Amino acid sequence: MSAELHAFVLDEARLLDERRFRDWLALFAEDGAYWAPTRPEQRSPHEALSLLYEPRALLALRVERLERPEAHVQTPASRTVHHVGGIQVLSEEEVRSSLVMAEWRAGETRWFAARVLHRLRREAQGLRIVLKRVDLIDSEAPHRALAVPF
Amino acid sequence: MELVREGAVHRAAYIDPAVFALEQERIFRRAWLYVGHESEVRAPGDFVRRRLGPEEVILVRTETGALAVLHNRCAHRGALVASEASGRVRQLRCPYHAWTYRLDGALLGMPLPEDYAEAPAQGLARVPRVDSYRGFIFASHAAEGPGLAAFLGGLASALDNMADRAPAGTLTRFGGSLQLEYRGNWKMFMENAVDLVHPGFVHRSSVEAARAHPEALGADGLAQQGAQMFLANGMPAREWREVPLHAFAGGHVYMGGFYRAGVIAPQREDPAFREYREALVGRHGEEKAAAVLAVDRFNNLVWPNLSVNARFGALRVVKPLAADRTVVEVHCFRFDGAPPEWEALTLQFVNLAASPASLVASDDLEIFERCQRGLESAAQDWIDIRRGAGTDRPEPDGSVRGAGSSELAIRQQFEAWRRYMAP
Repeated sequence: MSAELHAFVLDEARLLDERRFRDWLALFAEDGAYWAPTRPEQRSPHEALSLLYEPRALLALRVERLERPEAHVQTPASRTVHHVGGIQVLSEEEVRSSLVMAEWRAGETRWFAARVLHRLRREAQGLRIVLKRVDLIDSEAPHRALAVPF
Repeated sequence: MELVREGAVHRAAYIDPAVFALEQERIFRRAWLYVGHESEVRAPGDFVRRRLGPEEVILVRTETGALAVLHNRCAHRGALVASEASGRVRQLRCPYHAWTYRLDGALLGMPLPEDYAEAPAQGLARVPRVDSYRGFIFASHAAEGPGLAAFLGGLASALDNMADRAPAGTLTRFGGSLQLEYRGNWKMFMENAVDLVHPGFVHRSSVEAARAHPEALGADGLAQQGAQMFLANGMPAREWREVPLHAFAGGHVYMGGFYRAGVIAPQREDPAFREYREALVGRHGEEKAAAVLAVDRFNNLVWPNLSVNARFGALRVVKPLAADRTVVEVHCFRFDGAPPEWEALTLQFVNLAASPASLVASDDLEIFERCQRGLESAAQDWIDIRRGAGTDRPEPDGSVRGAGSSELAIRQQFEAWRRYMAP
């Protein structure tokens, strides 16, 4: 069980690096959501601002856009490495990890570091993401345009 | 050298560090600048750290209940006195040698006063003018000049409208803040916010994404609000032309609304909205409540650096850091007395339209950076701002109305720029 969850988290990150965004989206449960709060102590996306809070229906628009040629912020496209480490399987449904993401785009490399929480559910097709929460260590700092999910 | 002429601006206005330094002196040390909201400093001793033009300052409620804006610089060795973003204190004390100040900045004392031949008397330097309008606090580094109401002029109406939308009559800041950064000039944000030809091109990818996913319109409230907002950017150019622009002396300008579907529709009939409207009628009476809700504007700009979205309870403060570096900070407000859904609407609006990860704002930031890079080219010095000049309609009060497709707002901002920049 633990090995499966471990592998799931690594595979999820790899899909982003390979820009297989539709496959990545398919990992989210119908009621799943992606959330990057502005503060580590934030309990809900409805009490304070978030960098990004997207239930699956909105995430589908993000993914759709990432592949469109008119998306200026992805012309040229980013190249990323999501380095996932410190994976800690807390239960059958919860995995904690550390993430360092390097992003190369338009002549420049940017770095992001975050604590990540995956809340998962076992469905007929396999494990699905109910919530992926990404706490950037500098979540409340000014950020330039963010396009590719962490 | 003259940098603004009829229908054109010199690129130096965007890229030259010397021009930027002069802007800091002549615009950001002269104009009234938004510094905070009354709800952030309710009780004596409440303070928030802010940037006011080129300076680090502390907005504080003093013992007498007055507002003061103090320079965040110890009168002794110059250390920042406040290091936290906000808090409540009885006095301000420098961490270096414990010089201590009253909340109005007056020096209370220091260790070993007997070691001075003559006791120092200088307290924390005060920003000379502080005033508040409907709960919104502004300050000016200039000791003299027009008062706040005169400065706000026709755009006071935007702050009125936001405050009037609160059934209890007051607004409360909530939800923390969000900051966007771009490697471009601060003026680009203010110009782009009222350039209504760009959405059809810059935001096309989110328009197309929403069109490809019609099911989003039937999904949860957030996806619905998002899809509606993205689709609205896809209006044909002739409809954008019909969105009114109204520009005022001083560079202030507002644009009419263009997105009024679903959750933000003024004619909503669901229970939460009925409750809200009743509460608003209770405060203002039927006629005024209807008028408050009928105000249909999107961006309201108080030049040089504040953008107000009254209906959504959001403010954006533009902070110029260098000729090619700008941070925009977003603040949210609760309409006191409104049902809790209104907070969600505000958070969602910012999340969808104003976060650095927004499908909309991220493309604006990208374009600003490309403009900055492009303007470094010495091949052409002048930037054309003549679009729609023929449709400008001067009003008796000195303001100018124009078609949404016009660059009227940009021309008016540069008219203000030229006046401020004069010696």
